[in-house]
Formats: sequence, structure tokens, C-alpha cells
Amino acid sequence: MFFIPGPVIAALTFPGVIIHEAGHLFFCRFFKLHVFDVCFFRFGNPAGYVVHQQSENFTAQFFVSMGPFFANTLLCIVFCSAAFLPIWELKVFDPLAYFFYWLGLSIGMHAFPSTQDLSHLWVMAPALAKKGNPLAILCLPLAGLLVVANYARVVWADLGYGILVGVLGPIAIFKALAH
Amino acid sequence: MPLINRSICARCNTFIASDASAVQIGSARFCSTCAPLIKDWDYPVWLKIGLASLLLLLAVALVHGRKYFHAGRALYIGERLVDEGKFANALPYLKETLTIAPGSDKASLLAAKSALMIGDVASADKALHDHDGGHYEDGQSAQFLEVNSLWDHANEAFKKADQAGKLAQQDGKSAQAAKLMHDAASLYPQLPGFAFAAESLDGGAAFERRDFDSFLAVSENQWKEQPASETAAQLASALACKYAVTGTIDFRKRAEEMMDKARQLAQGDSEALKSIDEYVPRIQYRLSSRKIITKQEYDYLFRSGKSSAK
Repeated sequence: MFFIPGPVIAALTFPGVIIHEAGHLFFCRFFKLHVFDVCFFRFGNPAGYVVHQQSENFTAQFFVSMGPFFANTLLCIVFCSAAFLPIWELKVFDPLAYFFYWLGLSIGMHAFPSTQDLSHLWVMAPALAKKGNPLAILCLPLAGLLVVANYARVVWADLGYGILVGVLGPIAIFKALAH
Repeated sequence: MPLINRSICARCNTFIASDASAVQIGSARFCSTCAPLIKDWDYPVWLKIGLASLLLLLAVALVHGRKYFHAGRALYIGERLVDEGKFANALPYLKETLTIAPGSDKASLLAAKSALMIGDVASADKALHDHDGGHYEDGQSAQFLEVNSLWDHANEAFKKADQAGKLAQQDGKSAQAAKLMHDAASLYPQLPGFAFAAESLDGGAAFERRDFDSFLAVSENQWKEQPASETAAQLASALACKYAVTGTIDFRKRAEEMMDKARQLAQGDSEALKSIDEYVPRIQYRLSSRKIITKQEYDYLFRSGKSSAK
């Protein structure tokens, strides 16, 4: 599920919503969960959703909930990297680069899983973490951070995350390549 | 989702009652149309086409952006080398970036800095002025201010060096010229030529105050540092002075050797040959007459025209 603080912002960054929901659907299909309904984009709240069967398998639940976060982050870095050099460092006017930067930031901005996505993990993770499940141990602080980030959307934390990933990701990649 | 009612499909609300084809999934029942969809919800065609187009576009962008990756890589390598103080190594990388991205503030400033730090003012001038006519987005950035300060120092140094050069042409002004050239060298120490020229003018000043030991010491050092026709001729001049004053034949021999070396080294360089042709007769006069006169005096006695050098 997804929440965007305004229909205008949702419309401007619609590729991110679509990719996020496609990510949910991908992991539902991967873990063979039943999908009851899918909306890739709409002018409403939430802007997109995937209604799916809840799984007792924590791994499946983790990837269905968190998969879009990782996928959107990765795609944000990929698309922004294709555009980062001409726009930020080389100051070359290239319309394709601007298109990719918009695409990358839109995708990055919609990386956060919704509170509802996280709530299922939040219920399952503590007990499994106590039993030493590494994924649950990893999930707890990450989900905690993402819950906070979700509330911080009112102050554009989602946009901030997109920009951070879209700028720092390519810088890290290119600096590493330069070495 | 609609409220679960076992007689209707939980997804589409179709009445299914005791329809045998209805499927039970969990606690809900679904009609024969919805059940396969729920079990295997396919990606819509538009999404598949959209994602495929996006990947294709990304591939196009990566191919199209190869030159940017190349320029960017060169920029980051150049930046790293500048941070490590390896300015001469950094400059070729930064020049490479500027051929693809002349508008890059970062590349232009780093290239200008590298060039200025190794005394390559022509490259610095090109890097700065080919960049949007010398206009930068952030005129208050630390990088811009640093390059600006280096550039101002270099320009001021060149002005002083130019003045020194003009004074050096006049008899009796070598000390003044040397002082100006030393100022230039301290303003822009990155250009070793200024310090070298200042030392050469020190030699000229020593000649003027008839301190031939200092003149010889400077000339020997100059020859050692930079063996060229000019330094060979200057050393020949200093040795001729010492011969004129002491009469020691060894100075004369060495002066003649240095004159030969100056001629050899000037071969193929018309400017250097012209300078040698002007200089050598004066040294020969000094050796034959054991009289030390200035260029102006020599010109007055033997030439109607004028030329350069001490």
C-alpha cells in the first residue's frame, strides 16, 4: 500500500508508485501468495496498492513488504547514475539525462514501505528475532527506522531519501570506479 | 474486499451459491473467473511493455552516456590526484574531461588549479576562459576563491616579470630588474622560470657593480641548473670578466669553450643564434682587450644599432 501527501506529487512521480506496487506483486508471485487486487496507480489515497494473502513464512512476508524498498532504492541509483554525471558534475544539457533523473528520483521517493506493509513484519519479527532468525534481527531496526521515516513523510522525508540516494549513490559508485 | 459471504465471490461479488466450480481459498470463496487470477495474478501487458521500454531506454542511455562516464571517470581521477598534490598527473585527466564537458565548473577549476600549481599559465588561462567566458555558478565557493587567488598572483607576477624584463634591457638597471623578478618569483613560486630569471638578473646586477666573483658564481649555477646556449654564453661572459681582471689564462680557455658550447646549443634555434651573434663579439672583445665595458659602451664604440643581453 502506498500513501503520498498529495495527488499532484503522486501524479508527478507516478513511475515510483507503479514500480513500488510492481515490486510487491513480483514478490507475491515469487512466494506464490494469493493476490486479491492490484492498483498500480490512481489519484487517491493510497495512490497504489496490492491486496495479498498474509503469509506465515517470515521470509516471504519480509520480501513482500520490504522488497519494493530495496528494488526502488536500487533502481533509483541505477537511473540516477545514468544521469548524474551530465547533470551534476559535467553540466552538460542532455534531455535524456534529465528524464532519467526525474525517473530515478520518482522511484527513490516511493521506496518507503507503508506503515501497513511494516505492521505485519512488526508483529512477527520480535518473536523470531528472539529465536535468532537473522532476517528478523535485521528487520527490526530497519522496520523501526522505516516506521519513523513514514511518519516523517509529512516533512518530505520520502523526497529527501530519493535525493539522498539519487545523489550519494552515483557519487559513491563513480568515486569507487575512479579508484 | 467485500465482506465475506460464502454465497458470493469474495472478489467480484458474483453469486456463486453452490456452484461446483467455485474455489475456496482460505476462508473465502471465489468464482471460477477470479480464482485463477488470485492464484496467479499476471503482470498487465502495459506494465510489461513499459518496463521493457524503460530497460531499453536505460541501455540506450548507457551507450549514449559512455562519453559522460569516460569524462566523469577522468574527472574523479583528476580530483583524487589534485587532492594528493599530483598536479602534473591530474592535468591531462582534467583536460580530457573539459573536451567533453567544457561547462563543468568543477573540471574547469580543478584543471586551472592544477595548471597554475605547475606553472602552466597557458593551460590555466584556457581552462578558465573556455568555461562560459570565465563565468562560474558559485563565485564564493572555496575552490573558486582559491583558483582566483592563484590566478591573481600569477598575473601580478607576470606584470612584475614583464617590467623586470624591460629594465634589464637598460644599462645600470639590473639590480632593480632583479628585485622585481624576485618579487615575481615569490608571488608565483609555482613557476620555476621566475626564480631562475631572478638569479640570472642577480648575475647582471653583480656585473654592474663589478662583483665578478658573484657574477661567475651565479653564472656557473645557472649553467649547472639549465645547460642552454643562453646560460653557456652568460658563463662565458663571467669567465671573460675574470680573465680581464686577473689575466689567468684558465679563465680565458674556459670562456672560449663556453662560447663554443653556446654556439653548438643554439644550432637550429634562430632566436638563440641571433642572441649569440650579438653576445659573442662583446665577449671576444673582453678577452682580447681585457677591458670590461657595458653593452651600451660597446655599441657606442663598435656598432651603430642596438641589441640585447649583458
